[in-house]
Amino acid sequence: MTDARQRGTLHRCQWLAIVAVPMLLSVAASSLAVPSFARQTGQECIACHVSFPELTPYGRYFKLTGYTIGKPLFSEQGLNYVPIAAMAQVGVTRTSRNHETDPDTGESVEVNPRNDRLELCCASLFAASKLTEFMGGFVQWTYDHQQSNDQGQRVGHSGMDNVDLRIVGRYSEAGAAEPDLVYGGTLHNNPTVQDVWNSTPAFGFPFTASSLASTPSFATLIDGGLAQQVAGMGAYVFWKKSLYAELSLYRNADGAFSWMRAGDNAAGLKGYNPYWRLAYNHEWGPNSIMVGTYGLDVRRYPDSTITDSPTDRVLDTALDAQYQYITDPHTFTAQLTYIHEKQKYDASYAAFVSTGSGIGAGPTPSNANDTLRTWKAKATYYHDRKYGGTLALFSTSGSSDAGLYGTDADGNARRPDNRGYIVELDYLPIQYVRLMLQYTGYTKFDGASTNFDGNGRNARDNNTLFFNAWVAF
Amino acid sequence: MRERCREGKGVAMKRGSLWLVLAAAWGSPFCAYAEDAAVDIVKAEQTAVNLCSTCHGPRGVSRSAEFPILAAQREGYLLAQLDAFRTHARAEKDAHDFMWGIAGQLDPAVIRGLARYYASQPPAPARVDDPALVAKGKALFDAGVPERGIPACATCHGAHAEGMGDFPRLAGQHAKYVAKQIAYIQTLVRAAPVMHGIVKDFAPAEIQAVAAYVQSL
Repeated sequence: MTDARQRGTLHRCQWLAIVAVPMLLSVAASSLAVPSFARQTGQECIACHVSFPELTPYGRYFKLTGYTIGKPLFSEQGLNYVPIAAMAQVGVTRTSRNHETDPDTGESVEVNPRNDRLELCCASLFAASKLTEFMGGFVQWTYDHQQSNDQGQRVGHSGMDNVDLRIVGRYSEAGAAEPDLVYGGTLHNNPTVQDVWNSTPAFGFPFTASSLASTPSFATLIDGGLAQQVAGMGAYVFWKKSLYAELSLYRNADGAFSWMRAGDNAAGLKGYNPYWRLAYNHEWGPNSIMVGTYGLDVRRYPDSTITDSPTDRVLDTALDAQYQYITDPHTFTAQLTYIHEKQKYDASYAAFVSTGSGIGAGPTPSNANDTLRTWKAKATYYHDRKYGGTLALFSTSGSSDAGLYGTDADGNARRPDNRGYIVELDYLPIQYVRLMLQYTGYTKFDGASTNFDGNGRNARDNNTLFFNAWVAF
Repeated sequence: MRERCREGKGVAMKRGSLWLVLAAAWGSPFCAYAEDAAVDIVKAEQTAVNLCSTCHGPRGVSRSAEFPILAAQREGYLLAQLDAFRTHARAEKDAHDFMWGIAGQLDPAVIRGLARYYASQPPAPARVDDPALVAKGKALFDAGVPERGIPACATCHGAHAEGMGDFPRLAGQHAKYVAKQIAYIQTLVRAAPVMHGIVKDFAPAEIQAVAAYVQSL
């Protein structure tokens, strides 16, 4: 990504980079291991997690009931426990081909200057607790040690990470054997962070990845693109442990909600934008299955700082499924999701056609409408909740658009495609520590298998071996 | 509960030395709540529906064999186990990971209510997975292994494994759970001195057979 053309492309796609940065940060720190909840309930991690952050049926119920199982923070005896938890990750990243030639100077440069070195990724503090019989939640604050400035210098940065605050209720008819209805409201800052199935993006696989590795530039908006940039207010019902329905509205995390935001106000949403979720859940024996749909329909200002402009529209529609088989000692889980994104550049395309440029720093699409399609699937086996292995496949493809993605050496409009796999081995010597060896392989990266950057770099050159130690306490 | 404790010891005195030994070993926990007999059945039912059912299933019939069926279990046994979780006397991994926290936060009156609630629920249906294994288990359950000094399970657990006094009901229980508990007791992971003496020489195949049999009842 060092030639002048690529730099020009990135400049035109600045709005996408603005979206991608928080997305990548969320990948690096997308984790929810909250030992203070364990102190609250008196239970061990495995009660709620297959392996953090993947939830068991009990863990899902704990979250849906607003984290209100167990002791409240305060009682007549005073403070019951310290509602603070922390976690940190250190790792070593090895990029398959870490050197390339700078086309301007002819010098060999490192793709990842911190390759093959033990590096602190990030550290988080959680405030997490049951507040009353009807209220609970968590707030995560994360320091990202690897965050760099525009010059590529590591500067480190701390900011708000995931937030989920809930108020809940339950209803059962007299003589009921199980809750007829669990209902609640949630205030959060990342679409799908409130979801309880790990097939949705916020807590989907990979649960963590190297923040130093090269990762694909393009993803659907719901797949981390609004993380820590928005405030979401939702209401949900879970009926007879079978049907889950939720409607949330997202707005910019500004004004009274600015405390929920990390970094600049880059979401650029206009007003309140709907998110829906429907899921059918069934549990039998040691098995549980879920099939569902979720989606997001937003209107965005092309440049988030120009709010008197017309808007573009992004419609994400997703299908997902999850299966879990949880016994002692064998645990098998699988998740699948498909996200279809329709991008309608009503504002940006019109501006580009009439003026030759976008609105402010907004996108300059060559098409009035574009699409993205993402598939993700993973299967995990754990023995004794200690030794685990995961195989995951991922793919994103979309319409070609020279304005958004640039052109290849032949002048053809490029696509945002990426495709690959992840093989991961995990070892948890104790429940609070995960040692992980993760290999990510790419067969397509930023639109091509070979020479995707116009500088001779192939998709497989970004293959990454990542060793990570993840500690929560 | 005071009356229950008296009854339990009275039975022990009448039925010979085995009962005497068993009651001595098991009797103390049964009396843990003897001083305060308040029962909060309303809160207990709410707890059973909103919390316990998540793992132990509707009315105590758990879906997963990782969690025991509580329906129709003996009230005194339930009380004893919840007390053992509260005091950490029962410390196998599952007890530690799941039940210490849950039982430790329950009010004694609610615990009594839960024991009463689950004891009064209809039992789980019988399930037969392997008839040959069940037949082998029935022989062991009914007659024990006299030549190895292993008494019949029915002596304490009842002719149909329905439980007796405060000795637990095994009928309809998940075979996997029963086998796991016997293994815990064999290896002293779960402290049950009398049961340890009885099952310590059980072979793994015999454990599987007995567990399959009681599940079939």
